[in-house]
Amino acid sequence: MKKTALLLISLLVVFALALSACAPKPPVAEPPVVEEPAVEAPAVEEPAAAVDPMAELVAAAQKEGNLTVIALPRDWCNYGEAIDTFKAKYGIAVNELNPDGGSADEIEAIKANKDNKGPQAPDVIDVGYGFGPQLIEEGIVQPYKVSTWDSIPAESKDPDGYWYGDYYGIMAFEVNSDVVEVPQDWADLLKPELKGQFALSGDPRASAQAQMSVYAAAIYNGGGLDDVQPGLEFFKQVNDAGNFVPLIAKQATVAKGETPVILRWDYNALADKDFLAGNPNIEVVYPASGTIAGIYIQAISAYAPHPNAAKLWMEFLYSDEGQNIWLKGYCHPIRYADMQARGVIPAELSAKLPVFNGPVAFPSIDQINNAKMIIADNWMSVVGADVKE
Amino acid sequence: MSKNNSFLTDQKRDARKARPSSNSWRKWIGVVPFFIFALLFILLPSVNILAGAFRTNAGRFTLANFAGLFEPSILSAYWVTIKISLTTALVGGLLGFLMAYSVTVGKLPKAVRNMLMTFSGVASNFAGVPLAFAFIATLGRTGLITLILKNVLKLNLYALGFNLYSFWGLSLTYLFFQFPLMVLIITPALDGLKKEWSEAAENLGATRSLYWRKVALPILTPSILGAIILLFGNSFGAYATAYSLTGGFINLITIVVGSQIKGDILYNPGLGYALAVGMVIVMAVMMAIYYYLRRKSERWLPR
Amino acid sequence: MKRGSFWSWLWVIIGTLYFLLPLISTFDFSLRAKKGELSFLAYTRVFTDPNFWATMRFSLLIALFTIFLSIVLIAPTAYWIRLRLPKLRGIVEFISMLPYVIPAIVWVFGAIRTFSGTPFFLTNTLFGTYVLLTTGYVVLSLPFVYRSIDVGLAAIDVKSLTEAAQSLGAGWGTILFKVIFPNLKVAILSSSFLTLAIVIGEYTIASFLVGIKAYGPYMSMIGQNKTYESSSLAIISFLLTWAFMGVIQLLTRGKTSGSSMAGAR
Repeated sequence: MKKTALLLISLLVVFALALSACAPKPPVAEPPVVEEPAVEAPAVEEPAAAVDPMAELVAAAQKEGNLTVIALPRDWCNYGEAIDTFKAKYGIAVNELNPDGGSADEIEAIKANKDNKGPQAPDVIDVGYGFGPQLIEEGIVQPYKVSTWDSIPAESKDPDGYWYGDYYGIMAFEVNSDVVEVPQDWADLLKPELKGQFALSGDPRASAQAQMSVYAAAIYNGGGLDDVQPGLEFFKQVNDAGNFVPLIAKQATVAKGETPVILRWDYNALADKDFLAGNPNIEVVYPASGTIAGIYIQAISAYAPHPNAAKLWMEFLYSDEGQNIWLKGYCHPIRYADMQARGVIPAELSAKLPVFNGPVAFPSIDQINNAKMIIADNWMSVVGADVKE
Repeated sequence: MSKNNSFLTDQKRDARKARPSSNSWRKWIGVVPFFIFALLFILLPSVNILAGAFRTNAGRFTLANFAGLFEPSILSAYWVTIKISLTTALVGGLLGFLMAYSVTVGKLPKAVRNMLMTFSGVASNFAGVPLAFAFIATLGRTGLITLILKNVLKLNLYALGFNLYSFWGLSLTYLFFQFPLMVLIITPALDGLKKEWSEAAENLGATRSLYWRKVALPILTPSILGAIILLFGNSFGAYATAYSLTGGFINLITIVVGSQIKGDILYNPGLGYALAVGMVIVMAVMMAIYYYLRRKSERWLPR
Repeated sequence: MKRGSFWSWLWVIIGTLYFLLPLISTFDFSLRAKKGELSFLAYTRVFTDPNFWATMRFSLLIALFTIFLSIVLIAPTAYWIRLRLPKLRGIVEFISMLPYVIPAIVWVFGAIRTFSGTPFFLTNTLFGTYVLLTTGYVVLSLPFVYRSIDVGLAAIDVKSLTEAAQSLGAGWGTILFKVIFPNLKVAILSSSFLTLAIVIGEYTIASFLVGIKAYGPYMSMIGQNKTYESSSLAIISFLLTWAFMGVIQLLTRGKTSGSSMAGAR
């Protein structure tokens, strides 16, 4: 029996080694050839049509009948309304996978579903800015330029159309003002009144939101876009002051008063404020000395089972209508400047979007990825190890 | 003589019919479906993990992932996870055993037993974010019990050093699903304790404690060990509860694996898979210890 | 066995308190959807959400199939191992513990990779996807179901029962279903409860295979951004699952008090 077990185990190991050795070669940089989109070349003089259905694309998409999206919480940038509007407008069903997922989940899901044409394969993804180059390198996205391509700022998109920024948010304090005095700036987080009151909304080793909080702290507390270490030092100070609660803060923990001060993207904080409707009162405050912006990017999977539906989805999102839906969710849509110039933003919407006149940092992809590694590697050793036994 | 012979032969023939030869291939039929299922749905994904552990992000063969296992922070993650799993398995096992005992041997009303069983069923899987929040709502700084203790009994838990967001707080939270699991698993074993045995022991003059020490517990020990190893595994693999409650601050191996495979930042699935392989090895070691202990405890049982 | 029940009551009360306090706190929080007053607003919102009912129905159905499949798969195996192949016990136990150390997310991606292309094409049809989902849950609940049934088998004398039945002329089917299973009632019941609870609350596998059609992903979606509803949903799930188990227990009432037919040792 022991011999059989040993034999089995060694067989397994050999098998596994063989599998890994002859792993299929990583997909080459250029994704499988896709026909040029039926859409016309990027914008001309005519005002970027709001949702003027490009008949062929719509027909093809409707024939596919389905769109699979992933990691889109309904309350994140008002995605719920975007999905419902898209469904109603074009009669295409939408499969929503993994609403709590992160960027890595989305990428893994594309890879795992390479051969799968079923509803588990994501057609489109919405991931962090820093993932752009990786998407191209691993060959998991296909290029597509929406009809409003030109009005997307150049630094927020890949010139070949593999990925394109969709919206951005600004890091802010979300505060349960019924329970605590509202901090105005980074230094306020060190005040003794905030003992045991502050938390991050994720683990900086796994969550972009939490990690950008640390990056933001770095920039305005003695560091810079390329000097991230002070951010870790800052949170070490917060922790040493006893103000840091090491749990993952959410709307519920803020409302309960367990973590009345947290750092979140402003669109999430404002959505919380709306939803809680005064029960309790939530205030959203940008740290006075400055904060950071976080861009997210869209892409179509190279293996999308419904490529036309995916393209139609992009057209929808980048139309004025789609961008305004995001604006309603308090996100800054990427075409904001262009839409503002053309005056197509409803007044009440632009009034709702909070104004911040302080410094807002827009790190580049390289700076983000650099910060990623430093923060993830050093978080536990600098700030952590606070395991009370 | 011949009569005897034929009698014996008849017996042997009957015996063979009733008990087919143990060399027949038919013996294996009973387990074939399970092994096919295990092969398809458990071993194949495991082999995927093993294969992935030897790969870099770009797909090339490497041993670096396994080398990464020996980093101090990762070794400490394994150790902390083992510690919390052992703690909650033993404490949960004890508490669960006592509760199961109360409703079986302890002769509490049938209604109590039924309620306990169904309740344990639900509680044993009440984990993850809702459980974390339930404990935050109970024992967090603004938790119900914390406030009651502060306002009614003038007892400030946090000033006394208690902290829900710590190793012990997490263990407390884990126990919520550990001891109902114990209740569910061990109850059939306690049911199997025959009344006749305790009566026989009594007749022979044994005290209750002697009965338990020499008769009941030895019979129950293999099952208890089996239940405890299950509790250990349950805690070892737990992820969502710990993540929600401690934000990854307590260095558990499941959280480290998660941060490599999911999330937005680190993305080294090869390392994640290697860590998972490490977890399998830890499990195998624990199971080896369990087998040893169980064999010793079973050796005089009529099996 | 006459003895005071003081300690028994004490342990049960301690255990009950441990169970109840976190639930009471959650319940208390769920009543605060309206500022300053206690109300069931959070509950009304959940009950009037059609997605709640749809996802609950879906997951319950999957749970029933999972329970059925896992018992049919595992009980005979555990029985056979005890009876005929004790040497395989180690391997089977080890396999049964593997689901603990395979992270669910790794399993689901591995399963999609293996079963979506040739030759299985499981994920291309809805039915195939549900089959994959069910097998995922069978795998997930394997440790519990196997352990439950193993402990249950340990409590009855499998060998004598089988031999007695065989000497009376019973075939394997009769032995399994009319002799062994009735004696495993409690163990099978426990494992059914565990499986039901696991399937209803499971998030990862469901979220990648069927998305928000299942109850787990639905709960997580609510939990992200609807504070009071997530607490009320937790309480509702708890109570509903509990009620469902109560129904199962009622239906199998009468023979749940242990080995009524076990042979004499």
